[in-house]
Amino acid sequence: MPNAERKVAVVGMGGAFPCCSDLADFNDKLFSGKSLIREWGQALAHGKNIRSTVSGFITEAEMGLEAIYSEIAEGYPETYIDTLRRIPDGNLATADLGSIWAMLGALDAIKMAGWSESETQSEQTGVIVGSGGAGHVILRPAWHNFFELHRKSRVAGSHTVDRAMVYRDAANVSCLIKNKGVCESIGSACATGLGNIGYAYRLIKFGIQDRVIAGGVEGTSLETFIGFDAMQVLSRGFSPNESSRPFDVSRNGFVCSFGCGIVALEEYEQAKARGANILGVIDNYFNNSDGDGNMFFPSFAGQKRLWRGLMGDSTLKPDVVKVHGTSTPVGDSVELLSVVDVLGEEGYHISAPKSQFGHMLGAAGAVEFIAALLMLKQQKVLPCLNSVTLNPELENFQRSDSWTGPQKPLQAYRNLIPQQAFAKEINSIVCLNYGFGGTNSAISVSNDRS
Amino acid sequence: MERQQVIDGLVDILKTIRTISPEKLAGITEETDFVTDLNTPSTEMINIAAKAEQKFGVEFDDDDIDGLGSKVKDFIDLIIKAKERE
Repeated sequence: MPNAERKVAVVGMGGAFPCCSDLADFNDKLFSGKSLIREWGQALAHGKNIRSTVSGFITEAEMGLEAIYSEIAEGYPETYIDTLRRIPDGNLATADLGSIWAMLGALDAIKMAGWSESETQSEQTGVIVGSGGAGHVILRPAWHNFFELHRKSRVAGSHTVDRAMVYRDAANVSCLIKNKGVCESIGSACATGLGNIGYAYRLIKFGIQDRVIAGGVEGTSLETFIGFDAMQVLSRGFSPNESSRPFDVSRNGFVCSFGCGIVALEEYEQAKARGANILGVIDNYFNNSDGDGNMFFPSFAGQKRLWRGLMGDSTLKPDVVKVHGTSTPVGDSVELLSVVDVLGEEGYHISAPKSQFGHMLGAAGAVEFIAALLMLKQQKVLPCLNSVTLNPELENFQRSDSWTGPQKPLQAYRNLIPQQAFAKEINSIVCLNYGFGGTNSAISVSNDRS
Repeated sequence: MERQQVIDGLVDILKTIRTISPEKLAGITEETDFVTDLNTPSTEMINIAAKAEQKFGVEFDDDDIDGLGSKVKDFIDLIIKAKERE
């Protein structure tokens, strides 16, 4: 059960961000209103066989990595070289691209946190990191060599399991930092990033761990991209920087992106006692399911229950709501209307960072949580780029007899959604993320008020 | 095939295994032990075997690999045995 005496502080962060050299570069580009979305050569190479060609992708070279391809297994990346010598070769041998990003993010987060070696390697330190997808980049060529080329199973070597297993990111981080506490991954589709941080928060809040490295990863993978491309849910027809346009009336899908967000969480009193820099204090985390049997369609009722679970009887409004805001037609409208139904029509602002870097799938909740921490630090609201025109007409579902939410069109809430970053006093932010299967996650994070 | 030729070929393979320190490859003999002398992770042994099959144009029996020792001479014997079988 939660321990009322224990609070959870965020004391470090790191990760991998499209078009950015590091966290400071990510910060600068976000608050200067830049888009991190580009045309993706890997998608363009497939011509008419692929529908969307824009992404917030990260190349190996941009992360200081180089793939070594097998001389015996066709197309198989046997291992990666860290050209900047941050990760030992033994750890690289067991990692796919996303796991390497997770290890790099963990090192940065621990450095920022200032944890000693004994604290990092303690039984009271856990690792909770997950991905939305499998290790597709490893599995596809390994399986191709076996099933299509009829090669022996050993041709792809002995690391296809550890480089592709569900909790590969957490396992690789744990083997690198040598913690002795919990090591697990939470999977909840596009809520994965926030789900892992939320579970990590509970481990500390419930008194099970004192420190946790937590976050979400989605390694660059065309294999992942084409699954969504086939569903026709990806944005198309816009220039790259205009492709992700949450809440805009002309939005037609999300931008499939990749990245990694890792945070260091610590029991608040211990962090304060050692003089740690507190980046934020987590007020609460709550998650639930829609319960309507629908894999894909968002649930207004489910999202309202999410808010009730997060806020309880509190009538305090967050200063900023960091929405899921994917730029899909139905998802954005249901989300905006559920936020308005709970919080009212004024007194807060909505930030949609996916408008700048797209939807990082299993990393989305973690990278966007970092974006929220940066908003707390900068005391600025990140914008919703490209939300130029909001629908002046009611959504179709608002016209149905069963609709119980707001009766105004989205355009009525224009004032909540800034198109440029702007300064204001920010004491608390609520972050929302949802995933296929009707899973909903929410976290509230505040400035250290002590 | 001469046994030294096999050693030379094995060293070429080991140079591609990044978890083995390149400095340790200088004085390799038939008595060198992959595990105790070269600190080779056990998971890499099958990678070395697969690369040896390709390099020497042979195919190992699974039973032979299962019973393989950890010294360089064990690999040489395995390769020569497979070569003679063809």
